[in-house]
Amino acid sequence: MTVLADPPPPVDNTWAAPAVAVPATLAIAVVVFLLVRAVRGGIRDQGDFLLAGRRIGPGQNALALAAAPLMYSTLFIITGHVALSGYDAVLLLTSFTMSMMLGVLLFASHMRNLGATTLGDVFAMRARERPARIAASVVTLTIYAMFTVITLAAIAFILNRWFGLDSLVGLAGSVLVVGLVTVLYVYMGGMPGVTRLLTFKAVVALGVVAMLTTLVLVKFDFNLVRLLDTAEARSAPQGDYDLLGPGRLFGEGSDRWVHLSKLFCVVVGVAAIPFLFMRNFAVTNGPDARRSAGWAAMIVVAVYACMAVVGLGSVAVLGRENIGVIKAHRDISLPKLADELGGPLMVGALGAVAVLTVAGVFAALLINAVTCVTRDVNALRGRRPAPGRELADVRRNVMIVGIVSVVGGVAMLPVRTHIFIPTSIDVAGATILPVVVYALFWRRFNTAGLKWAVYGGLASTMFMVVFSNGMSGAEDAIFAGSDFKFIDIEPGLISVPLAFLLGFLGTVLSGERDDAAFAEIQVRSLTGAVVPARRGASVGAVLDVGGNGRDVNRGDGNGRDGDGRANRTTSEAR
Amino acid sequence: MVTQSPPADGDRYVAAHSSAEFQTLRRRSQAFLLWASVVFFGWWFTGSALATFAPDFFRREVGGPVNLGLLFVLLSFVLVVTLSGLYLRYARTRLDPLGEQVRAGLEAGPDVGPKGETR
Repeated sequence: MTVLADPPPPVDNTWAAPAVAVPATLAIAVVVFLLVRAVRGGIRDQGDFLLAGRRIGPGQNALALAAAPLMYSTLFIITGHVALSGYDAVLLLTSFTMSMMLGVLLFASHMRNLGATTLGDVFAMRARERPARIAASVVTLTIYAMFTVITLAAIAFILNRWFGLDSLVGLAGSVLVVGLVTVLYVYMGGMPGVTRLLTFKAVVALGVVAMLTTLVLVKFDFNLVRLLDTAEARSAPQGDYDLLGPGRLFGEGSDRWVHLSKLFCVVVGVAAIPFLFMRNFAVTNGPDARRSAGWAAMIVVAVYACMAVVGLGSVAVLGRENIGVIKAHRDISLPKLADELGGPLMVGALGAVAVLTVAGVFAALLINAVTCVTRDVNALRGRRPAPGRELADVRRNVMIVGIVSVVGGVAMLPVRTHIFIPTSIDVAGATILPVVVYALFWRRFNTAGLKWAVYGGLASTMFMVVFSNGMSGAEDAIFAGSDFKFIDIEPGLISVPLAFLLGFLGTVLSGERDDAAFAEIQVRSLTGAVVPARRGASVGAVLDVGGNGRDVNRGDGNGRDGDGRANRTTSEAR
Repeated sequence: MVTQSPPADGDRYVAAHSSAEFQTLRRRSQAFLLWASVVFFGWWFTGSALATFAPDFFRREVGGPVNLGLLFVLLSFVLVVTLSGLYLRYARTRLDPLGEQVRAGLEAGPDVGPKGETR
């Protein structure tokens, strides 16, 4: 068990406050249950369940979108990372805020305007339907599997660090319970419920970040200069590398390329991760999707600016010996800081919030995978639920996918799977980004180009990951005992440009050309217009969730049935 | 795969695509995306490369404990907020009204489609 086999120096958990954390977690679980149950009645069909009927307003989606990527590593460990590695970690944290930009500029309004439900719907607009849906399902489910495993593992880390739980059986049992409760939320509330959960998580997380920042600043009389000076003075000396200058973590030789590659991959990959990407689909209309992505970017900037202050503040407050002093212990800095600032009460409350953030990520992942299975995979298998059984069908998928994931995640707990997060980001950047860019802007793009980009990007990323330090040749690798590593950098630095190149080659080497499809995706992505057209049979089928008429949706959202059904009729008539 | 060509009766998206209104919309949208991407990625990758390969430059002090590196982080935060804000405003005033026009023309039906030639 990773969390129990702590590398030296020994960690003596003196701060955990289970007597506060457990009741606080239960209270949060009950609140979320009530929030989710309240939306259950409004779910009448698959469109409601999978995309909240595209009725999510820009404000709520902005909160949900900003909250979705805040997980244990990016919200809780990052402060310890900053405390230990200083500027290099601050730059990594900044790259997460920069990553929101691609969502604002490229994804939000364009993808919402297409009226898609799944990634497969987007891919199918510029390629033959079957290979497009297969490629989209492979990408979505690969990322889902990796991300879910590490998300569930994060629950075990939280329970160990914040709740002081350190028996393997206890951890496995608790992860099972938290995972299954989250599955229950998704089962009840679908996308509206997940959105509620994420919005609640956003409010709580923002509150916590604001409180921590304030408490840290109070220690320095709101004098940021004094905070920085103290952090610098109290941090451990490390050669020429002081805390506030670059190079502390990645200052030497090939490490510098590792640093550059990580900064690159986060910026091009994060916004394309399917469970974030699909949030764009559920907003009321294209302009609202754009607004929500823009606001989400601003919220994320505020959160991460504060987290940088908290991170530097934790070494300033605690001193060099009391933060996590090695990489594997970065996650003890924040609980220790919380203990220093607010005692057991704060440690317990933050532990409960940590569980909430991770459960929120799992819920967002699960609804994404279920959408993919219900639409793309079932379309590939030629399965259609019997009329009147659509909701039962999608809920059954939640149960199957959810339970398999939780059991699989618990089984994977003893494996050191931290490599799965950067790998998911790389895969998203090396598959979804090139396809979306080519689909929107390149007239020639076709099925072969899509296949080459997706499978080439996926295969090259995976190949490099297998030979990276996440798999072998490092203390915290999956196969720590062996060493077959020869890749140090984050694979996306190579695989993302390679996927663009392969997409180009695949396209020009194939004779397929569909100018009308290019005209269609350009017109639709910029205007949100939907008319029955040439491709009604393949793409019209895609539109049956909530339709896409903007005027119709704006305001009360009642008109969507008319619009949606009209499209469905068009497609079924063929 | 056989080359597909638009059917003779004219695909309405193709007609809309070649309309003058849509071409203006497309040009505006892509021009903004292009310069925004150049500014944004140019800024970030230049900064990343400096932090990585010219750390001494970023260590240069600008006042108190603040060095050029921290200033770069601060300006990056400002850039995200500013660029998002600019794009939202540009899209609201310069893109959405045109898009709405094209969409209304398209969805009203083939008889009152947007002005433009069918290829």
